[in-house]
Amino acid sequence: MAGALKPPSAFAITPHKVSLCILVQIYASPSQVSVPFPFSSVSQHNRLGLYLLALTKSCDDILEPKLDQLISQLREIGGLLDHWLTDHLTSRLSSLSSPDDLFNFFNDMRGILGGPDSGVMEDDQVILDPNSNLGMFLRRCILAFNLLTFEGICHLLTNIGIYCKEAISSCSSYELRRLDDSGNDLESLSEYENMDLNLVFKKINEEMEARKRATERVSFHLHLPKELSTLVEDIEVFADPKSEHYDKGRESSSYASSGDLLRDFDPNGGVFLRTNWQIQGYLTEQADAIEKHGSSFTLNAFELTLRQLQKLAPELHRVHFLRYLNSLYHDDYFSALENLHRYFDYSAGIEGFDFVPPTGCNSFGRYEIALLCLGMMHFHFGHPKQALEVLTEAVRVSQQHSNDTCLAYTLAAISNLLSEIGFSTTSGILGSPFSPMTSVGTSLSVQQQLFVLLKGSLKRAESLKLKQLVAANHLSMAKFDLTHVQRPLLSFGPKASMKLRTCPISVCKELRLGYHLISEFCCEGSTMTTDGAFSTAWLKNLQKPMGSLVLSQDNSSRNNSNPFLFCAQPSSIPGSVLQLVGSSYLHRATAWEIYGSAPLARVNALVYATCFADASSSSDAALVHVKLVQHLAVFKGYKEAFAALKIAEEKFLCVSKSWILILKLQLLHERALHRGHLKLAQQVCDELGVLASSVTAVDMDLKTEASLRHARTLLAAKQFSQAAAVAHSLFCMCYKFNLQVESASVLLLLAEIHMKSGNAVVGLPYALASLSYCQSFNLDLLRASATLTLAELWLSLGSNHTKTALSLIHGAFPMILGHGGLELSGRAYITEAKCYLSDPNFSVSDNPEVVLDPLRQASDELQALEYHELAAEAFYLMAIVFDKLGQLEKREEAAASFKNHIVALENSQNVEDLLLSV
Amino acid sequence: MSSKESCRNELRTAIRQLSDRCLYSASKWAAEQLVGIEQDPAKFTPSNTRFQRGSSSIRRRFRTNEITSTPPTGVAYVSTPVMEEDEVIHGDFYLLAKSYFDCREYRRAAHVLRDQTGKKSVFLRCYALYLAGEKRKEEEMIELEGPLGKSDTVNRELVSLERELSTLCKNNMIDPFGLYLYGLVLKEKGNENLARKVLVESVNSYPWNWSAWSELQSLCTTVDLLNSLNLSNHWMKEFFLASVYQELRMHNESLVKYENLQGNFTFSNYIQAQIAKARYSLREFEQVEVIFEDLLRNDPYRVEDMDTYSNVLYTKECFSALSYLAHRVIMTDKYRPESCCIIGNYYSLKGQHEKSVMYFRRALKLNKNYLSAWTLMGHEYVEMKNTPAAVDAYRRAVDINPRDYRAWYGLGQAYEMMGMPHYALHYFRKSVFFQPIDSRLWIAMAQCYESEQLHMLEEAIKCYKRAANCNDTEAIALHRLAKLHRELGHPEEAAFYYKKDLERMEAEDREGPNIVEALMFLATHYKAQKRFEEAEVYCTRLLDYTGPERETAKNLLRGMRIAQSSFPSMDVEHFHP
Repeated sequence: MAGALKPPSAFAITPHKVSLCILVQIYASPSQVSVPFPFSSVSQHNRLGLYLLALTKSCDDILEPKLDQLISQLREIGGLLDHWLTDHLTSRLSSLSSPDDLFNFFNDMRGILGGPDSGVMEDDQVILDPNSNLGMFLRRCILAFNLLTFEGICHLLTNIGIYCKEAISSCSSYELRRLDDSGNDLESLSEYENMDLNLVFKKINEEMEARKRATERVSFHLHLPKELSTLVEDIEVFADPKSEHYDKGRESSSYASSGDLLRDFDPNGGVFLRTNWQIQGYLTEQADAIEKHGSSFTLNAFELTLRQLQKLAPELHRVHFLRYLNSLYHDDYFSALENLHRYFDYSAGIEGFDFVPPTGCNSFGRYEIALLCLGMMHFHFGHPKQALEVLTEAVRVSQQHSNDTCLAYTLAAISNLLSEIGFSTTSGILGSPFSPMTSVGTSLSVQQQLFVLLKGSLKRAESLKLKQLVAANHLSMAKFDLTHVQRPLLSFGPKASMKLRTCPISVCKELRLGYHLISEFCCEGSTMTTDGAFSTAWLKNLQKPMGSLVLSQDNSSRNNSNPFLFCAQPSSIPGSVLQLVGSSYLHRATAWEIYGSAPLARVNALVYATCFADASSSSDAALVHVKLVQHLAVFKGYKEAFAALKIAEEKFLCVSKSWILILKLQLLHERALHRGHLKLAQQVCDELGVLASSVTAVDMDLKTEASLRHARTLLAAKQFSQAAAVAHSLFCMCYKFNLQVESASVLLLLAEIHMKSGNAVVGLPYALASLSYCQSFNLDLLRASATLTLAELWLSLGSNHTKTALSLIHGAFPMILGHGGLELSGRAYITEAKCYLSDPNFSVSDNPEVVLDPLRQASDELQALEYHELAAEAFYLMAIVFDKLGQLEKREEAAASFKNHIVALENSQNVEDLLLSV
Repeated sequence: MSSKESCRNELRTAIRQLSDRCLYSASKWAAEQLVGIEQDPAKFTPSNTRFQRGSSSIRRRFRTNEITSTPPTGVAYVSTPVMEEDEVIHGDFYLLAKSYFDCREYRRAAHVLRDQTGKKSVFLRCYALYLAGEKRKEEEMIELEGPLGKSDTVNRELVSLERELSTLCKNNMIDPFGLYLYGLVLKEKGNENLARKVLVESVNSYPWNWSAWSELQSLCTTVDLLNSLNLSNHWMKEFFLASVYQELRMHNESLVKYENLQGNFTFSNYIQAQIAKARYSLREFEQVEVIFEDLLRNDPYRVEDMDTYSNVLYTKECFSALSYLAHRVIMTDKYRPESCCIIGNYYSLKGQHEKSVMYFRRALKLNKNYLSAWTLMGHEYVEMKNTPAAVDAYRRAVDINPRDYRAWYGLGQAYEMMGMPHYALHYFRKSVFFQPIDSRLWIAMAQCYESEQLHMLEEAIKCYKRAANCNDTEAIALHRLAKLHRELGHPEEAAFYYKKDLERMEAEDREGPNIVEALMFLATHYKAQKRFEEAEVYCTRLLDYTGPERETAKNLLRGMRIAQSSFPSMDVEHFHP
């Protein structure tokens, strides 16, 4: 904060620091032997030293550990010495009863420091080098004490009193238990004691796990009433029964609030957070968690924690940002807006430990970040126009302040915004004063602007070495390449001869470039030590390997658990990077889906679901599940798909407009269509349409899908003219918003409608148009199905076209059999059989298997799908063939199956009424 | 309302009782009101009343409608029986304790009363303990300025006091004063609902304790809360309501209440000051200045509310008066937040912003919730071009009281200065939401919309319209409206606003380029409309001015004459079909 309002955070002397001083004194007591009195071995001595180092490093805290916490840590470190250490510590502390004692204490401290010429000290004497870490700490403490006013000394004295009193009241219970233990086994071996400790820790670990599970459960299934009760009954609610045990004996004094805070902080129980760094880390972790779990993150409980945190550290403005995030993901617009503004008003964008101080002398705050966040917020709430306005301002301000990083991010945000919202709406907004790209001019279409923006932002990110941004840009570039040809689709003149196709290679290239990020992070992990997880990790490590620590004291592998390694944690890959890499897999899955390679799409989705489930946000994870379930539905039929859906539903909270809900509707619709439950289909379709235009914004993808399904339902109901009308208007919309991939499938649907209505001639151009779309966008599977439709059209034009039809089908077969679903291959088989049958030159009796084999295949597949209409057709054809062959028994069998399907189709009306009434 | 005489008697008893319990500020307040009641001229010598009479002429000047002292009928005021004193037995200890208390030796006073059980003694003991705790708290706050601005100092007596008072309250062993203290403790502990209840009980059984009323007032943050209070009718309630209304920014209602009260308490300085503050909020600066001058004449050593006076002087740019005021308050009491604020204002007016900031910071050191000091300091930082600091200061003001429209306005201004007009709009919106009658806020917002980055002229026009509707003293809005309409190609509207602007400038006798511009536009506009007579009027007026416009006007006139003379028949046809 550039304003001169804040007091400099001084190094204040506290009871905790006094006890550290006492410990340092023990560590470095001036004696003549190499291993001073209480220690039995050098390693023991060193261990205390390392522990003290870690403690002194984390002395700029918000919350300091209380005496009992310190003692319990000492117990872990000190091993056999712990009795002596704690006794000495407590007695020394309680002997400080008047200000004069403190004066004397700090005078003594001066004694253990070596003189300025300590270089020439005797070999075997332990004297603290004044320039060492511990020495510096001690000197700082002494200095801080000397600077204290008399009132300050009085405060220190009273605080030490409180500090000891609390510890005694909570320690006594433990001591008693210990005494009992040792009373039973006076001659207990040290190993036994360690085992005992092991047991205790195992128990704690179990408890931690249990609690973790409990909190997880809560966070997913917390419903409103519970939240309300949390609000009403204040903090007590989220102290689950187990933590009562943990809090036993904690005195409810003025420190009670901080005790609660500690408890709230981490579900892991035994660990406590202390340093400024750790709080920041905690907040960052929570921010990730909010993003990950979205609205299933508990609103009020976290709000309470934040409130307490704010009370303890009013100058830690990050809290406001977390509040903003919290309300953002709970769709509370006003509170989000309010908190966002508050955060940036206070912090001026230059707070938090991911902040790198600007190199220049720019001390006037970095409010452009505020604009960037505000823009993202508007985007999140579905106000694209406002978002664009704000982001435009962000571009201008960051140019003014020459904040290139922010500019790069803003450009990325804008391009993201442009690619997400429908294109026709932006044209008015991207007005003349817009953008750094004024040189490009405004004559370009929005798509082209987007392309230019993407390129520009990618270049900027690369030159600034913002790896994550580079990767993200690569991904959005891939997305762009996937759905856009680089030239306008219809262009005349000399350029018309150019290749009008999307380029799968460039998509793959972009995806691969994005993927490279992970390897780069492996090489230079040190740049990311600021990730919050690390700063809280070391204390967890302190506890975990306790058992082995004592057993293998001088083993070098122990290094991992050493508290000394606080800052030098072996860095893993930060969560945000994992998320990015994961989303590259998601992109791949989508790309393959569009290009029509089902197995590859499935593999990528599976990789994502197995490898990146931890790092992914809940909506991404849900999306992957959706893809997998859809795959099941297409290739294995509905039974398995619905079973899988059930699992997914349990895994993800089925909130309104989640992926899972949409998937459910899609599956229901398709099954209803196949089974002939048309009313139900229409109802489901309508629901999907409602989801598409929610209050916040219109989801174009969902909207097109809904009306596509509407047209399909109408087609199934044999209302051809209506279906054609719907499909036509849908095509117009797709054309208007440049949804070209969707256009292809709409054209195909139109062709089908015309074919079914008996106008094969009218259908032909549509099928051909769809085919050319598919070609230019490399939509291979769709192309295969368009070819199939084309064959069907030829076939219905008369028996003299069977040759053409047959050759078309045979051309498409490899694709269909390799990647197509049950329905598609069933249809292909039936059409093939029909071609043969209608060919006047073909005689069944000569070569019955040519017809029978595809029909059998088709009937199997269609039965799995419960597609009554087509299945009936297959059996009908089969019966005819058997009739011709004179195999009456088999004919009767086929006829019976035919009848079954027809009856099922006709009964569907009744069943449907039943379903609807339920 | 009870008669003046009974008011007087009630107050006299109350003052005795209040000061006996060491509730000094309440007793000060009561005494001020007692003297504020108009004396019966028959009983007093002219020398007594002279001081009251002297100023009444000025007062009457601004009394627009003479208010009769009879209150609206139908309101029955309960007469609360004056409390009987309960103890005489341990009076000696009480006397000792009270003298200790008077010497500010609170703990000693409490210690003397440790075994006393009378209600009065218990109250004084608890009150002394409370004050001792408060004093220690204040001291500690200075002593411990921890890192990260942590100030978790609390009054250490609160817990034990709450325990004791709640037992007393349960056993019904508590008098209204004890209830007041209980309410105070509860409020400090954050238990606002119970505090409100207890305070209501206290003021209902003993209405003359103004301190209890003001605590209650600070707990009434919304109108709904106010309406939910179950208060019995007493004339003290009127004071309370007036003050609450003012705090809730219902200035007109508050003003009516105060003017009603002035019927009985004609010479109350307190009421006078409150009226001044209400009028200040309504931006009636002239009257406020007169009232404060009057007030200072009667009560020259007053520091309370003088910061409002200094604000008025600042707005009116009265250098010497402001310096005089600053000098006077600093001689009276240097270490009052108001004094520091006044000096800060003075330096700000002189353009010495660093010094001004220093004094505002001193005021904030004395009272860190002093709202206007935060806002004013923000203004200073804006002047010093230190926008982040300004933003911080304003934000603190807004967090103390989210209804402070000045601070919202300041935030908007700061962001606009940094070239972030879209971001600033949020703050301007907030500010006009809380103060929709202030034209300056609307104009600021309009200018923000007009800025070249946003260029949202339609919205700007809407804002200017609002500004023009709420008494835009600087007459910016009309001119801008006319100009904007002209730029947007709405000649009719532009002509309408130019005309209005012209009328206004004529009424206020203003001169300047705006008049020429308006005349010029109107003349050409009417000429284009073929309304030659009007056009001629404006052209001839233009002839009074020098400069190129004059020549243009001549040309226009000439052109019109030619047009009229060459096609008279057509014109006749045109106009009189």
